[in-house]
Amino acid sequence: MIDILNGLVLIGLLVSALFIVRCRDLLSAAISFGIFSFLLSLEFYILQAPDVAIAEAGIGAGLTTAIFIVAIRGTTRWEGVRE
Amino acid sequence: MSMSKIVRAAACVLLPFILVFGFYIVMHGHLTPGGGFQGGAVIATGFVLLMAAFSYDSITARLSKSSLTGGETLGLLLFIVTAAVALGLGGTFFGNWLANSGAIFGTPVAFGANPGNLNTAGVIPIMNLAVGIEVLGGLSVILLYMLSGVHEEVA
Amino acid sequence: MRVIITAVVVIVLSLAVLSAAAGLDFGSPVHTDMDDYFTGFGQVLTGGNNIVTDVVFDFRGFDTLGEATVLFTAVTGVGLAFRKRKEDEDYEYE
Repeated sequence: MIDILNGLVLIGLLVSALFIVRCRDLLSAAISFGIFSFLLSLEFYILQAPDVAIAEAGIGAGLTTAIFIVAIRGTTRWEGVRE
Repeated sequence: MSMSKIVRAAACVLLPFILVFGFYIVMHGHLTPGGGFQGGAVIATGFVLLMAAFSYDSITARLSKSSLTGGETLGLLLFIVTAAVALGLGGTFFGNWLANSGAIFGTPVAFGANPGNLNTAGVIPIMNLAVGIEVLGGLSVILLYMLSGVHEEVA
Repeated sequence: MRVIITAVVVIVLSLAVLSAAAGLDFGSPVHTDMDDYFTGFGQVLTGGNNIVTDVVFDFRGFDTLGEATVLFTAVTGVGLAFRKRKEDEDYEYE
């Protein structure tokens, strides 16, 4: 049971990491980064490191996504577009 | 530029729960998984939710940058002073001068599995609180600074 | 041509990492003296039930001081980058 969950989380990590790199819309990439951090914290919890899981959920999924979105609001939303 | 009324109401409902959970993680750092850094990050996430929901002006009317940086400096100073008191008492730097002393946070603990007592672990709860205040102030003020930069360009 | 070079480099590097990691057993380090000391005496010496916090804030407190200093320096850098400039102050990026 835990092996199936572990495999699903790892596949989700790969897919969301691919989305971060390939998305032309930087807002979608930031949201994908939030999903990646959340799945990574889930993986840390499965591997029995709850301390790191709480830190990853707080910093990665919460704060870093907000910082990226604020930075996108200050610059451009689409990759490769110059104002 | 604040968000819709639904987002603002949801942020107001969620904020007390996030704050209580973060404070629980900070103060139970020596008994359960977590600690100062993690709890401070959770509380800072609550503040960031508030900053995302409301406009920059209504945030800075109640929450100034100087109070957040003051909290950060206070946390770091409390951390260093707690560590340096051990030098004055004849121990080493970062020595645990409160553990097993019978004073506050000084109840001795037996080896093995036990339900845990909040009044244990010596200087570790004090350092957890100090690091929690420091991380909360630091991470919140980073986002507040970035919002101030974006705010000037957009408005 | 670039794709082939990239694929070769990626395959060689991942094979190197995997061959180095293949001989290790997960969770069985060679030297366990300090681990035995922490798990055996940490709870009684510091009084905290959470061994991770005991190590981070008591046995390895100096590392935590460095971590707190890193965060403080990061906040100082962000404050410098986003500070309010005066009207007549000229500055250049790069």
